[in-house]
Amino acid sequence: MGTVHARSLEPLPSSGPDFGGLGEEAEFVEVEPEAKQEILENKDVVVQHVHFDGLGRTKDDIIICEIGDVFKAKNLIEVMRKSHEAREKLLRLGIFRQVDVLIDTCQGDDALPNGLDVTFEVTELRRLTGSYNTMVGNNEGSMVLGLKLPNLLGRAEKVTFQFSYGTKETSYGLSFFKPRPGNFERNFSVNLYKVTGQFPWSSLRETDRGMSAEYSFPIWKTSHTVKWEGVWRELGCLSRTASFAVRKESGHSLKSSLSHAMVIDSRNSSILPRRGALLKVNQELAGYTGGDVSFIKEDFELQLNKQLIFDSVFSASFWGGMLVPIGDKPSSIADRFYLGGPTSIRGFSMHSIGPQSEDYLGGEAYWAGGLHLYTPLPFRPGQGGFGELFRTHFFLNAGNLCNLNYGEGPKAHIRKLAECIRWSYGAGIVLRLGNIARLELNYCVPMGVQTGDRICDGVQFGAGIRFL
Amino acid sequence: MSLVAEAFVSQIAAAEPWPENATLYQQLKGEQILLSDNAASLAVQAFLQMCNLPIKVVCRANAEYMSPSGKVPFIHVGNQVVSELGPIVQFVKAKGHSLSDGLEEVQKAEMKAYMELVNNMLLTAELYLQWCDEATVGEVLEDVDQCCQALSQRLGTQPYFFNKQPTELDALVFGHLYTILTTQLTNDELSEKVKNYSNLLAFCRRIEQHYFEDRGKGRLS
Repeated sequence: MGTVHARSLEPLPSSGPDFGGLGEEAEFVEVEPEAKQEILENKDVVVQHVHFDGLGRTKDDIIICEIGDVFKAKNLIEVMRKSHEAREKLLRLGIFRQVDVLIDTCQGDDALPNGLDVTFEVTELRRLTGSYNTMVGNNEGSMVLGLKLPNLLGRAEKVTFQFSYGTKETSYGLSFFKPRPGNFERNFSVNLYKVTGQFPWSSLRETDRGMSAEYSFPIWKTSHTVKWEGVWRELGCLSRTASFAVRKESGHSLKSSLSHAMVIDSRNSSILPRRGALLKVNQELAGYTGGDVSFIKEDFELQLNKQLIFDSVFSASFWGGMLVPIGDKPSSIADRFYLGGPTSIRGFSMHSIGPQSEDYLGGEAYWAGGLHLYTPLPFRPGQGGFGELFRTHFFLNAGNLCNLNYGEGPKAHIRKLAECIRWSYGAGIVLRLGNIARLELNYCVPMGVQTGDRICDGVQFGAGIRFL
Repeated sequence: MSLVAEAFVSQIAAAEPWPENATLYQQLKGEQILLSDNAASLAVQAFLQMCNLPIKVVCRANAEYMSPSGKVPFIHVGNQVVSELGPIVQFVKAKGHSLSDGLEEVQKAEMKAYMELVNNMLLTAELYLQWCDEATVGEVLEDVDQCCQALSQRLGTQPYFFNKQPTELDALVFGHLYTILTTQLTNDELSEKVKNYSNLLAFCRRIEQHYFEDRGKGRLS
């Protein structure tokens, strides 16, 4: 009987809340034909042994959980399929650089005539990997050091550390991740971080030092994450000419919040999907576990994609959110929503829509929607190769950001959100960067501009992960 | 902004009259504000009262972070934000109000010298007392005594330091002495030293009555 090899594909990125699908067009196994062709599919087989070559520090119990199904296969095709699935699960753990599967007949004293042996040949990742970059941008230079320790204690725990030392600011992040053995979708992680940000549209500088603990679990087709986060926030003015409304928010505050997020993602890819839908709903309650900001915040994101004729895709998306402060204190500028920019309503400058007093202060409620038509480049240059990374796109975006008067009823809120709608339309080119990010170059025509909004009509460039 | 640009902007601002809603920001009374910050805030309030400029006092927990220089108190007038007594005196002067215009050059120099004396001696004593509360405060109290003696001698029997009209020196001295006399500390020796000089006590009471009570502001807490 011939041997069956599973072709090894590139290792897939490890699972996380944004992970959408197991990659496109995954290759299946190939069978080397043998001189004596038997009708392999119909032959009943029994998997007698599963071997592992190359395990070092990985503990046995997490491996056993991932490959349990292989033993249940009844015929050869099922063995191949289950081995392939087991291989995907092993790669998803993020502890192996490479996994090869070998299926062979059983040899040895206890071998049955229809017995099979499945061998997984694995290469573990190194104990410590590091990276070092320098970055330059925005009048600031910085060195970034990254360290990753995969499979720390043998059960797919992972520790990552990133440190950035710059001429103006330093920031760091330390994170510990542990999945549940046998059930990778249930996982737990603890993070410690300090990040700094400068927001010129609000003349604001923010430094956050915080820690968070989160637990993710699946329920049927949805993925849920429950998180506690404690952050010490320090806000300051970016320049002496900051408006007084921003000056009033300077100082220190402590936020301690519990949040819950639910994600249903049936798209085939997170960047330029062809079909499927995404629904993300996030709630956050701050103030009941300490801290001095108290609010309840809700926001959601919906995206639908449908493939049309001639390889084009129609996509509709809708975002919205609301922040309700609890108690007498007004909401903080660091918690409010912002709208506008190349990744949100195109044609407007970054976060430059809505309530402002020379500086953009953000708002407590918003909605934004987009309709897109993606088509391949005209005349399809580079078809099948480089040209596949590009798409032309036609879009229509609309939205509004404002503060609501919470004393009034829902009808008044809807009316307020429906007046002074900003919208824009245009066309452009989209470039896909791997499976994570995309670049856009668009020609935009902003409409419905209110006094105080800053627009960017004409050509606008955008880069990011999450686009309206 | 460069110094030139700042000077230009303040010149433009000088043309505007003093608005009704000018506000002074300091930390919360009672639980947050420190001795030295309280003295500085009182000095600015007294100064503005003496210039007859209306000011509203707002207490905020993040006042020192709101201030452009990090020091309290600061005033928000129209579009401008100015902090600390020195710059505030300059700012008010640019708007055409001044208390020391009538003085001759010699007197102005003298006034500056006394203000420096108060800042060096009384302010240092306040800082020492609020941060290091030890039994061996002998040297600090000596300095305070010397400072009060100099002030008392200069004041003599006049109503204000420069005869009939109050100046920023009066405001500064009032701010510090009033704070020392009225704040409850674990150590009373500082206020005892000041109480030795009856004309300084009378001076404080006079300013309090004239500028704070008479104007309907009520007692300073």
